[in-house]
Amino acid sequence: MDTLVAQLAPSRRGDEGSSSTAEWANNGYGNLDASGAVAGMDVPGVPDPLAFLSMHTDSMSTNPQAKIKLAHGTTTLAFRFKGGIIVAVDSRATAGSYIASGTVKKVIEINPYLLGTMAGGAADCQYWETYLGMQCRLHELRNKERISVAAASKILSNLVYQYKGMGLSMGTMICGWDKTGPALFYVDSDGQRLKGDLFSVGSGSTFAYGVLDQGYKWDLSDEEAQELGRRSIVAAGHRDAYSGNTVNLFHVRENGWEFIKNYDLSELWYEYEEKKKADLAAASAAAAGGVPIDVE
Amino acid sequence: MFLTRSEYDRGVNTFSPEGRLFQVEYAMEAIKLGSTTVGICTPKGVVLGVEKRVQSPLLESSSIEKIMEIDRHLGCAMSGLTADARTMIDHARVTSQMHAFTYDEQIGVESCTQAVCDLALRFGESVDDDDALMSRPFGVALLIAGHDERGPQLYHTDPSGTFVRYDAKAIGSGSDAAQQSLQDAYHKQMTLAEAYTLTLKTLKQVMEEKLDENNVQLAQVTADGGFEILNEAELKAAIESLPAERVVV
Amino acid sequence: MALFAASAQQEAVAAPIQHRFDPYEDNGGTILSIAGADFSVIAGDTRQSQGYNIQTRYARKVWQLTDKVVLATNGFAADGANFVKKVKQRLEWYENAHQKQMSIKSIARMIQTMLYAKRFFPYYVYNILGGIEEDGTGAVYSFDPVGSYEREACRAAGAAQSLIQPFLDNQIYFRNQTFPADQPKPIPGNLPLGTVLGLVIDSFTSATERHIEVGDGLEMYVVMAKGRAVDDLTSKGALPEGVVVEELGPLGEGGGERTFLVRRTLKRD
Repeated sequence: MDTLVAQLAPSRRGDEGSSSTAEWANNGYGNLDASGAVAGMDVPGVPDPLAFLSMHTDSMSTNPQAKIKLAHGTTTLAFRFKGGIIVAVDSRATAGSYIASGTVKKVIEINPYLLGTMAGGAADCQYWETYLGMQCRLHELRNKERISVAAASKILSNLVYQYKGMGLSMGTMICGWDKTGPALFYVDSDGQRLKGDLFSVGSGSTFAYGVLDQGYKWDLSDEEAQELGRRSIVAAGHRDAYSGNTVNLFHVRENGWEFIKNYDLSELWYEYEEKKKADLAAASAAAAGGVPIDVE
Repeated sequence: MFLTRSEYDRGVNTFSPEGRLFQVEYAMEAIKLGSTTVGICTPKGVVLGVEKRVQSPLLESSSIEKIMEIDRHLGCAMSGLTADARTMIDHARVTSQMHAFTYDEQIGVESCTQAVCDLALRFGESVDDDDALMSRPFGVALLIAGHDERGPQLYHTDPSGTFVRYDAKAIGSGSDAAQQSLQDAYHKQMTLAEAYTLTLKTLKQVMEEKLDENNVQLAQVTADGGFEILNEAELKAAIESLPAERVVV
Repeated sequence: MALFAASAQQEAVAAPIQHRFDPYEDNGGTILSIAGADFSVIAGDTRQSQGYNIQTRYARKVWQLTDKVVLATNGFAADGANFVKKVKQRLEWYENAHQKQMSIKSIARMIQTMLYAKRFFPYYVYNILGGIEEDGTGAVYSFDPVGSYEREACRAAGAAQSLIQPFLDNQIYFRNQTFPADQPKPIPGNLPLGTVLGLVIDSFTSATERHIEVGDGLEMYVVMAKGRAVDDLTSKGALPEGVVVEELGPLGEGGGERTFLVRRTLKRD
């Protein structure tokens, strides 16, 4: 731990006054070193930096009295099917019980053919996935071919693993289409990296899984798959207080991802309720031999 | 201790009494051994052209890589010790991506050129802890072509780390003659097609072999398309559109 | 300086066990920014407090960064001041390296990287960046303390965030407003300057009434796009009684954008 801290903080406060060496070393590219690696992450000079961080910040509503409230994301899902990958997320960010934002972009467009999702610390996901985008582009320039989703997700998991135990919070799905077809990986800040067909991450994931699992099959049509993604996020937004506001829907196909639409979550919920009522009426009508019966 | 004049060319960082750095000057000579490379800047974009020396019929000419992409809006052609250019171009690529990451915008053509040139003088006896360095100067010159908010631009860099902007520039073994013919034919309102023709004509004039699609390579950087290397069909078309050669007996 | 810092700072390994390192303070106050089609308003009150004590009735929270960008900081005043200093330093380096002023989009990304560099020792600062985008539209970017950011039409942060933001959601984003069938819901971010300034003033006077950490003075920076007429701000009677307008000269060569500082008092009790 101490060696890790020493690596991450090459210049302690006091070495150079208040500026870290990294800021001076590389023509003003902030916390990147000459090779493009992240360097010079400032760490407080206390015996236990993680304890310091958890005392002062509230990242997953575990420490509500902390002054520094970090925005975090909540329900995200992605699944593979014959038509590619569906990615659906909500857009609520909470700081304690306050809704810090209802318009968060939880799908991060890493590049035109790779998407990452955001759950956990908003900054952790945004920063590292943007950084991943830069590494993917360098891979492309150096190797004259696009990076595989497997390799991209591994870059990310190796990156965050370097910071393991220091308080990062990230649960993400890296989605894309490469030579192997549609590919989906779950990566989190513990260093876990899983290949899979279907994932949901965040406090609303249990609710999303409920809908997702009962409707999922490989042979879904594009429309069915998009509807399943949408419906699952609505279910989560409805039952999980930390999720809600709007649904963002993306579809990854062979030639890259496409943003389908942004939907108001409550409006969708009312639409589903209406449809439920209509279906029920139709079903009871069918049961009664095709003659509609008025329900008093 | 007596130093003869010729001994000043031993140390890579020792000035001669006349104020010259011989190793740097010799590095520039190395470029004159390289194949001829041409760059032309037009209002619509920049054209790069290189001669590929196919020394043997057994050599796979497509494996000779003398024009490379730095980023979508930046390309680079080289002459001299092309292996040295790899280091420089990787640095240019990393710098361009770091700029995009840090500022959410494409790096300027001049800034990228400056970044490459910052590497050029990092030679000498390396000091510990100095994240250096090379034992000798680079033996390569680059033509960096790009497009940014200031429009299309062409820069020339040399082993001393100097960079200069040009409308049209030739480097490599045939550069003297090539530069002269560029100077004679260049005008500010050239179209891309005219630039291709001038590039090929210039190369043709200084090449020993007969110019064909196997021993030249062309590329362009435009606002819309970014950096593109011409494919075989496009290259053939450009070559075929050259005015017919006068028969010289 | 180096000697002082070294002695003040204990090394991680050999240090005696420090039971509490509490370098943060909440200095109250509120900031707010609203984007228009061709302008942006960035505002903050000027009270700075520590607990129930008012430290000063005039502490700046809003800073002009370039000819088209203004930054508002809120949270821990010392961190905020230091952060602004570093941002300005980076802007100067950039200008020297690239011979141009940094665009708002680039400043936003740079701020993310600067905040994230202190992910493990965060700045206790909420930032809101306002100004004019390269395409001439008004823009607002809001940040969390470790650098997650988003472009929005409006944002309030600080002590009275939870008082002001719901009001802005209603007035700027037209949330929970119904419109007649023949009148479509307006697109947020297109209100006229007079309306926006009215909303900003109402937000702050109301927050002053109900929040002890808000009050004393109000500073509103208005950044106007190039070529935009400014008579809706400068002409006689354009602004309510007691509101003072002052134009701030360009910091660089000046690209045609104009920045105005609009002040008024808030209640001091």
